[in-house]
Amino acid sequence: MLERVRRRDPAALTAFFEAYFDRVFGLVYRLLGDRAMTEDVTQEVFYKAYRAADRLDPERDPMPWLVTIAHNACRDLWRSSAYRMGRRSASIDGQPGIELALPARGNPEHDALAAERERLVQAAILELPEALRTPLLLHDYQGMSHEEIATALGIQHAAARKRYSRALAALGARLRETMI
Amino acid sequence: MSERPDEPAPEARRARDAVRALSAPRPEPGYRARMKRDFVAGTLAGPVGTGVSHPPPGQESSSWRGMLLPMAAALLIVSALSLNRGPDWEVVRTAGGGPAVVDGRAIPFDRPAELARAIANGARVAMPPGASLVLAARGQMAVEITPATAASLSAPPGRWVGRIARAEVTTGELRITTGRDFHGARLRVRTPEASIEVTGTTLAVIREPHGTCVCVMDGVVRVGAGRGPMVAVEAGRRRFVFNDGRAPEQAEMRPIEHVELAAMRDEQRERMAGGRE
Repeated sequence: MLERVRRRDPAALTAFFEAYFDRVFGLVYRLLGDRAMTEDVTQEVFYKAYRAADRLDPERDPMPWLVTIAHNACRDLWRSSAYRMGRRSASIDGQPGIELALPARGNPEHDALAAERERLVQAAILELPEALRTPLLLHDYQGMSHEEIATALGIQHAAARKRYSRALAALGARLRETMI
Repeated sequence: MSERPDEPAPEARRARDAVRALSAPRPEPGYRARMKRDFVAGTLAGPVGTGVSHPPPGQESSSWRGMLLPMAAALLIVSALSLNRGPDWEVVRTAGGGPAVVDGRAIPFDRPAELARAIANGARVAMPPGASLVLAARGQMAVEITPATAASLSAPPGRWVGRIARAEVTTGELRITTGRDFHGARLRVRTPEASIEVTGTTLAVIREPHGTCVCVMDGVVRVGAGRGPMVAVEAGRRRFVFNDGRAPEQAEMRPIEHVELAAMRDEQRERMAGGRE
């Protein structure tokens, strides 16, 4: 399939989109916590992926490559003055319109608690510095290894591990404060 | 006690499990379908809404292209940005003596073009007591800045991408009505205690001493309080978000706002019917 994606074959592009779009969208949302920004950044990722399709390595899983593009796009956004100004006045959650794929248990009370827990975890993640947030989400939300994370972020393997450990500790402390 | 890297401390382990248990946010179906169609067709727009055509596969590069391509791309970007730009704000009505204070500079009401230009940059606008003005982006939306209001307003949404406008109300009231060309765009309004998302409707956002009141004349508006979830507020209802921690309240819209919003919507109906001049 990836060989045909390189040739921009429409059927292969459709399969590629179906395989990776929702995963990239989910990761970007967890990194940014804002629907509008997530939509813009995900669009940018797939725009760049299309443009660079002929450089895709058909022998390798393209997800780390997409993660690199997504992280670079988020990093550019974080560095932008518009983002910093927006964050100054923005609430970090209560983002409109994001539909979360929570498992429905037919128990409204349980579902409400699960949604509240998700909200608190997401809010705590967004309080982490971006340099810690990314390795944490890549490792535990995306299931990437430290080595893959190091490659995707362009950092040393040891640095990826260290950032991940610091992120876990910081998140644990924040979650303790919110009584989760 | 030192922990092995793969066996984090209990608190960190709980954090890890919490992240692993996070669900997958789903993109809005319309947005996803549009992305899929454009991705497969190779017409997905770039990050700044350039709409630059994707290069045909397998094209070889050459030295002269190294010079020409950036220039062509720059031209395309400028053209696409220009085409994507939504209608500019225009001042369509003023009342009272003015002047409006825009980023600390007083601009008289008899200089509407200068006023609209200054506000289009997202500047802070302060309206004196007894004075108001209505700004309209033809076909997209109209906003009334009522007396004694302090607010900021971004440029109207782009035509194809960047279809989001933002506003912030510190004190006073904004009345907003959207038109046909707003379809698919969003307006996000913030006050110190509330966030409001508009996808097409007529509403008022009123910043009062105890909080924010959102009155919805038509359609549905989503309103969030601080860290709370966004809640849909339907036509004819208002939601009050307190700034002292009390739970938001929802009730019927006040008659006065009903009258004011209906008057504004009707006044702007023709201008909001859509299309460029």
